[in-house]
Order: sequence, then C-alpha cells, then structure tokens
Amino acid sequence: MVLVKGIMMIPWLLLVSLFCKSTQDGNGQESGVLHCGAQNLKLTNSSQMILLTWEDTPSCSAVQDVLIYELEVLIADKKEHYDEVAVTPDQIGSSHSWNWTSYLALECASHSVRLRSRYKNHTSQWNQETLPGLETSKAEVYPKDKHFQVGSTATFCCVLPAGDVFDKMSLTEYSSADMNTTRISNQTYALTVHLNQASKYSCTDVKCELNPDVGACAYIGYPPNVTDLQCETRDLQSVDCHWTDKDSSLPFKSVTEYHLLESPTICAKWPETRCSQEVRVDARERNWTLTASNPLGEVKLSDTADLTKRVHMFPPEGVTVLSVNARNVSLEWKWTVQQYYNLSLICQVNINNHGENTISEYFGVGLNFAVLNDLIPNWTYNVAIRCRTAQHFWKWSSWSTNVNFHTKGDVPDALDVWMQVMDNQIITIWKMPLANQSHGHIEDYEVTWTKTTERERQNRTKVAPNNFSLALSLDTTVGHIVTVTARNINGSSAPSTITIPSSNPDGTRVNTSLIIGSNGSFNLSWSASPTASCGYIVDWCPTLGNCTVGWLKVSPNQTNASILSKNFKDGLRYTLSVYACTQEAPVLLQRREGYVREKKIQDGLFKSVKGQQQDWDYEVSWEPISRREQTAFIQGYVLYCLDNNNNKVINFSTDNPEATSLTARNLKNGSYIFTVKARTAVGECGATSITATLNLLTDNLIGTVFISLAAVFGLLSLITIVCYRHWTCIKDTVYPPIPKPVLTSTGEHGCRNFQVDQCHYSEADIMDVPELYCRAGTPINGFVSQENMPFVFSQTPKGYYNQPLKKFTPPPLTLPSTAIPSQPGLPSSPFRREFPNASYNLIMQPGNQQSNFCPELQEGTSLERSSDGYQPHGHPETFATNQTEEDPDSPMSCVSTYILLPQSSSR
Amino acid sequence: MAARRTRGMTGGSDLSRATVARATAIAELLRYECSILLELYRKKESFTADVTVTESRLVSVPPPSSQLETRDKLWCLHSALLQCRSFLERAITKEEEQLGGGKKGDYETQRKMVKERLSLLLINTGELLKTAGGVMILTPSSEGLELDGPTILFELKLWVYRIFEEVDYWTKTAITTLQALPSVIAKERARTTRVRSTRSARR
Repeated sequence: MVLVKGIMMIPWLLLVSLFCKSTQDGNGQESGVLHCGAQNLKLTNSSQMILLTWEDTPSCSAVQDVLIYELEVLIADKKEHYDEVAVTPDQIGSSHSWNWTSYLALECASHSVRLRSRYKNHTSQWNQETLPGLETSKAEVYPKDKHFQVGSTATFCCVLPAGDVFDKMSLTEYSSADMNTTRISNQTYALTVHLNQASKYSCTDVKCELNPDVGACAYIGYPPNVTDLQCETRDLQSVDCHWTDKDSSLPFKSVTEYHLLESPTICAKWPETRCSQEVRVDARERNWTLTASNPLGEVKLSDTADLTKRVHMFPPEGVTVLSVNARNVSLEWKWTVQQYYNLSLICQVNINNHGENTISEYFGVGLNFAVLNDLIPNWTYNVAIRCRTAQHFWKWSSWSTNVNFHTKGDVPDALDVWMQVMDNQIITIWKMPLANQSHGHIEDYEVTWTKTTERERQNRTKVAPNNFSLALSLDTTVGHIVTVTARNINGSSAPSTITIPSSNPDGTRVNTSLIIGSNGSFNLSWSASPTASCGYIVDWCPTLGNCTVGWLKVSPNQTNASILSKNFKDGLRYTLSVYACTQEAPVLLQRREGYVREKKIQDGLFKSVKGQQQDWDYEVSWEPISRREQTAFIQGYVLYCLDNNNNKVINFSTDNPEATSLTARNLKNGSYIFTVKARTAVGECGATSITATLNLLTDNLIGTVFISLAAVFGLLSLITIVCYRHWTCIKDTVYPPIPKPVLTSTGEHGCRNFQVDQCHYSEADIMDVPELYCRAGTPINGFVSQENMPFVFSQTPKGYYNQPLKKFTPPPLTLPSTAIPSQPGLPSSPFRREFPNASYNLIMQPGNQQSNFCPELQEGTSLERSSDGYQPHGHPETFATNQTEEDPDSPMSCVSTYILLPQSSSR
Repeated sequence: MAARRTRGMTGGSDLSRATVARATAIAELLRYECSILLELYRKKESFTADVTVTESRLVSVPPPSSQLETRDKLWCLHSALLQCRSFLERAITKEEEQLGGGKKGDYETQRKMVKERLSLLLINTGELLKTAGGVMILTPSSEGLELDGPTILFELKLWVYRIFEEVDYWTKTAITTLQALPSVIAKERARTTRVRSTRSARR
C-alpha cells in the first residue's frame, strides 16, 4: 500500500516540480531586470556645474522599455534638486551623463548626487557620489573672481575654519536690503544678492568680515550690446567696420572683444568701435559679420554691402600750389591709395577768403589737380580739398590739410566816384579802394576835368593816396566832366568818370518828403525812371552841419535800396537824394529827410518861453524851434498846467508842429507851473517850464469897488454942492412954504382937536409900542430941522422927500397921548414927545389912506440906516394884520390895516 | 639671506645736519602723502578705515634699535625703504595689470607722487648712509622679496593696501630715526673726540 501510494505520488511530484521550475524560470527574468541599475558612477565638476556619468549594469540589457534614472542632488546633506533621465532600450549599454549647475560654489558645501533606476514600478537601490566641500584652515569666500551679469542673482559663501565665529557678509556698494544671508552648515554661510549695478572700478568686493577680513571679487557687468554695424572700404583692399556698443562692458581684463568675419584674431577691444580687416574687394554684395564677446555672452551682427559702392576715400595728400597768378592758381595733390587714380572722382576745393568760404567742384578720373579762377589779386587764400567717388556716392573724404597762397598784384579796380556841388565848388569824391580793390599799395590818384562844352581842353592834377576828394572852384553854370583813376605799382585803374551838371536856378525842384528809418537803416524806394540808363545813385548826408556825403549805386532794374552806414547816428536828421544815372549828368529824382532812429529831444528845448495872462487864460509862447534842436520829428506840442494849490494837472495841446504858443484856458487864481513839451513819435520830450501866479479876480474886484465908491462919492458930492447952492430955489420949488396950522388950544396934548378916530389904536397897542423901542434911536434930523412943521417929517433930511407929500396935504393925525418920556436934550415939542423913538420909519400916507397909518418895523433894516435916510425898496413888504390875532402878545399889532413903506423912485 | 657689510667706520662723523634736516622734511612730506594715498585707496576700494589686514610685515629688516650705531640704523632704514619702493613699484604694476589701469584720477596721481617722493627720500638716506660709512646693499635682495603678490583679486587688493601701509609705517620710522640723528651725531662726535684725545695723550 505504501509503495502504491508512493508510486502514485511520483507523477504529482513531477507535476509540482515542473510547475515550480516553470515558475522559477519566469521569476528569474524579472529579477534580472530588477537588478538593472547604474554602475561606474563618476561625479566631476566644472566651476559650479556638476557632471555625473554612469553606465548601465549588465542586467539592464534585458530591459525592453524606457528605463528611468532618478537623480537627487543634496547640498550639505539637504535635498536640493531632483531630476530624471530617460534611457531608451537602444541607449542601454552606453554611458550616460547628466549635469546640473549649483547656485552655490562647490567649495562652499558638499554636493552629493544620488541615482537609482526605475522600471515598471520597480526601483533600484540609490547609488551616491559626493563632491566634498572645502575644508580649510582659514576662512574663505567663494566663488572668487567670477563674472556676473547685471540683473542676475548670485550666491556667495563664507567658509569658516572650525572655531571661527561668523559675523556678517557684505557686498561693496550694495545695501543690506538687496542681500540675504543664510546658514548652510555650521561653518558655512551664504549671501544671496540681486546684482543690480555694474562694478565701478575693477571688481566688486564680497567680504566676510572677520579679523583679518577675507573676501572675493566679483566682476559685475553686461554682455555685449552691439548695434549699427556699418562696413565700408577706404583703400579698396580691406573692409573697415564701425559700430556702437552701449554698456557692453565688464571691468578691466574682461572687456568685450570684437572679431570681424569670424576671424579668431581680435579686431578690437571695447571701448574701440572700429576695426578693419584685409579682404578682397569685389563688386558683389556680401555679409560682413562682427562678433562681440565677453565672459557674459557673445553677439553677432552683420551688414550686407557691396564695398565698391561704399568707398570712403582718404583725403588728398601733399596738396601743393603749382602756379600762382593775379587771378588764378593751379593746385595739385597726391593719392596715397593707388586705386584712387582709376576711380572717377569729384573733388571740392574750399577757398577760404578771410573767413568767407567758397566751394568749387572738379571732376575727373583719378583727379589730382584743380585750377582756381576769379581770385582777387594780391590776396591771401587758404584752401582745402576733399573728394569722393563720382558713382555710388557714399561719403566725402575728410578735408585735406590747409594750404595757403598769395596771388600776384594787379592794377587797382575802377574807383567809385560821386560828386557834391556846394556854392561855387565842385567836390569830386571817391571811395577809398578796399584791400581787395586796390590790388597793391595805392601810390596816388589822378583827377582830370573838362567843361562839357570844351572836351578837348583837359585839366589834370594828382591827389595824395590818403585823400579821397578834390574840391574844384569851377564855373558851376557850366557842366563839367571829371575823371578819376587810382595808380599802384602795377599801373593805373580804369578811369571813373562823372558828369557834373550845370547849376540851373530855374531847374525843376523836387519836393522833400519825410522818411523814418528802421533797424538803423533807411529803406528807400522810388519810381523807375526811363532816364536811368546806368542805374541809380542814392546819396545821403546830415541835413545840417558838415555834410560828409555817402552814396550807393544800384542797378537800373532796382528801385529800392536799404541804406545802412556805420556813420549813421540816432537823432540826427539826414537828407537822402535819389539820382538817375544817365549818360550825361545825374538827374535828381527824389529827396527825403528823416532820422535813422528818432531820439527823445532833451529837456529845455523851448527858448525864450514867456507867459501872458489874458483874463482867465494864460498864453505860453516860445521861439520857433530850429531843426538843429530836433532829434525827432515834432508832431505838435502839449502845455501842462500844474496847479500848485491842489497839484492838479490840466493840459492843452496842438498838432501844429509850427506852433509857437499854447494857451491854457479858464484858469483860477493861484500859482501854476506851465510845462510845454514837444510831441514826437518817441514820446513827449523837450520839456521846458515856467511858473506864474494868476490873481486877476481880486485886483479887478478891488478896482471895481474903488471906482464905484469914488463915482458914488463924486456924484453925491456934486448933488450936495448943487443942492447947497440952489437950496432956496429947490426949497421954493419942492418945498413951498406951508401955512402954519392954527391951534385952538395949547396944553399937554398939542393936537387935541385932531380927528383921532382915523387911527384906531387900542390902548394896549399904544402901550406896546415902547416895547419895540427897547433901544432908543437917534433923533431924526428932519424932525429937528422941521421944528416948525410938526406934521411933516422927512426920512431924507438931505432933501429927499416922499413924493406924496408934494401933492397932498398932510392928513390930520391923532396920536395917543401916552406918557412917553421925552428924550433929554431934544427940543421939547409935542410931536417929539409923542414919537420919542424915531428909529421906526413911519410913513405917512396921504389922502384916503389916512385911517390906516401905523408904524411898522422894517424887517432886516438896521435902525441906524433907517434913521440916516430913505432906503428904496423894490418890493414894498406888507405884514399880515391877522398876526395880531395869532399872537396877541406881539409887541406891535395893527388891526385891519397896513403899514406902507415908501416906494422906490424907480417904480 | 641677510647680508650686511660695513667698512667699520664710526658713523656720523661727517653727517651733515642739512642733509638730515632735508631727509626729515622729505619723510614728513611723504608721510602726509601716504596718508592721502591710503585714504584715496580706501575710498576707491570701498574699504572702511578699520579694514583689517594681516599684521605681519612685508619688509624684512632688523628692527631699529637704540643699541645700533648710527650707520647701522641708517642702513636698516635705507634697506627698509628700498624694499618699500620695490613693493610699491610691484603693487602699481600688478594693480594696473589685474585691476585695470589707464585711468588718471586723483588716486593714480597720488600713487605716482608717493613713489617719486619715496625715491627722493631714498636718495637722501643713501647719501646719509654713504656719509656714515655704510654700504648700500639691499638686504634681502630684490630676488628674495616675495613681490609676486596674490592672484586672487580681493587678496591682491589687500596686498596693495598692505604695501601702502608698509610705506606709511617705514616713513614714520624714517622720521623718528632721522629726528634722533642730530643728538646721536653730537654724542658720537664727542665720544670720538675723547677717544682721539686719549690716544694722543697716551702717545
């Protein structure tokens, strides 16, 4: 049974073992892949870049899909970076590499790289390689002397030996705000800086502040920045390029280098911006490449050009003057580049004539000479030459060196002659030949003249070289022809002739008009004249005083001229004349007078200023103003009156420039300052003042009063005398004797039998009367003199009488018998006693008004005046009687009656 | 390396007071110019006034001692100043090579002035040394000096600064030494006179 069981177990065991084997076979392939990994790891570095190389293990050959290598970078054992490298099946078996640049210098800390493979979720073990950091016995800063671009971020580290204590790190010229310090390990610290400024002098210091300081230098700058490349040829054998390079700089020893046409040879170094290189110049376009490089970068720039169209010539060399004549010169020069002799060239000759430049152009193949014409004899010139190719203009060469030469002398140019006729003298004048006209030293002038009627008879004289006029006393009624020549060592100039016209008093006169200059000159224009065959002559000289004439000749087609002379003075009046130049004598066309610039006339212009009062007006007059005094055209005058009392100014003016007086009107009494000024285009000027006091009103008034008083006095005296002489006659005529009234009784009341009822006085009224006479008046003379005529009293004791008295018998008057004390010293009469106060001018009205006679006080009339005589009244005044009723206490009351005052005789 | 040779003359016998005074005046002027140069360099390199460099000396000569005779003192001084000039010239060359040259600013002008003034002082100390009977042999020789300087730029800067400080230090030493010379001369003259009179008395 056991055997059977054993025999039966065998196939099962075989099956199991087969299964196991097949399973083991499959697992063996997989486990082979899983053993695939890296071997032969090699970690190196270049500056801050780490480079890892490795190979696949042999087991990787079985891998049929992409194999991934995972890499980790650890800095000072701190994971800093992760990366993957994919290896395709066809790459398996070859060497692999990977690199990474650390932000930190490798001396600062250990840099380790771990590597493992990953295949289908299976990963191998890590393989690690390490670059140890620097172990130093003294402190150091890394990286040293490295280049950085402005704008980048850099990390520096300070590695301290064991035991040293870190203080701080710094970067010269950087603030702490731009920097960040971190601790990497116990003895290593890092400073991270954003570099925002280039090194100024050599390099920027990075310091680890210890004792002593340690540090490193950093070059901070810019990569090349080249623009505007332009290439040309100068000698047709090389290319010459120039460019601009802004900020392409690093500190010393790291400057940008330039290479042309990919040549390894350095063509130029910054800051140079030009270099050349020999090439074969042919007529085709090609690229001219410039390479600029510095430790921070490289830039290439190209310019496409056909150099045969970009020929920038060198300037002519060895310019010499071959032959010098009076008016022309020939020049010759050489070319340093032989090819120029085969080129079609354009050359410019700059002729400098005492600062004035003239450029002449010359053409020719290989041009190397030029002839300069129209030169001034006896004259120094300075010339320079530049050239370019005639075809395909690119640039002018620079100017050659300057060459001087002096032309030969010649006869003087013809003189500019003019004339001036003064009284019986003919003055021939000519302008001094300028240096460019005399062509040599002037030895003398020769003047010949002849009458126009006798041309064959010539007079001749010589004038010294420093004289430029000749006065000839000739018969001015006859025309003359004057010819002037100048002579120098080379001979005489061409003759200059002028015809002096005969003076003709009946000749046509030309009106003079005014002219005002502008900008220091006169702008003159005139109408074209058909007679002006040879142009026009404008001459000028001061209107008054010595006339030194200046003149200007203009062409026939010109009818205007701007006259500018250095001799012109402001405020001086000039006379300008325009003549037509004819084949005969000049013909005057126009005459003007004016100022080149008007000037304010000085104060005190007016001479002999006088003032005269005319009633309320005051006339200020002056002498006519001479033109010599005028520095501007007078357009009128202004008279200012300053009232000294109230400082008020009033003015009176006239627009008449010929006026010699001005009147101030309607003035008042007082003191005035009269100032007269001339009105001109430049303002009021030439002020002259006088002071006067006006007192017309007082004088006249006093005079009138005195005259009136004298007249009245005289008249009164005359009347008095006449009246005195003819008193009897007058008395008889005017004052006939009146029979004495017959009194029936005598007693205390002298007029007892009078009809007293004609005057109805109440007792109270009567009693009131004395109150009005609070002041006794003077006795009335009339009463005294008419003592025997008690019923007649006169207000005009000197003979004036109220007219009614002439015609009417005095009415009976009944007076109340009041106890009014008589005035002492007065004659005792009944009448006087009853009218003790004669200051009241009582008027007795005759006739039927007898019932209403009441005394009345004349308002506004003094008692004295009333007593002296009659005062005529234009308007007899009345007082309303009802006043009594309203005011019963009134000192005088008249009831239902009026007191009539004498009427004026004029009425 | 240190080689010194003297002719066994008593120093100071013919020393001119005027030469000493002139040398002193030049040294004082050089000291002033050195201070300006240091200031300009600190400013140019953004060094603070308390920038610390190593305290060891570049110039190697025996320190001046009061025990030395005048000619030996002068020899020490002259030798130190000669080394200073060598270092200064080398510093200028290295600075222009490594740190950029060509600029002609205040610093460069001052640097040139210090160099020329140092040469003038050397002429005067040499004259004094010659008068004192010493021999003008540089010790150590220029070949023996470590004139190359560092290659690292920051260290080069510090090295240049050290050289300027060295010139400043030896200029001050020169002033002290030269100012002390007149009294030494007087004493030595007196001693020489005594020795001579003693010898003549013995004779």
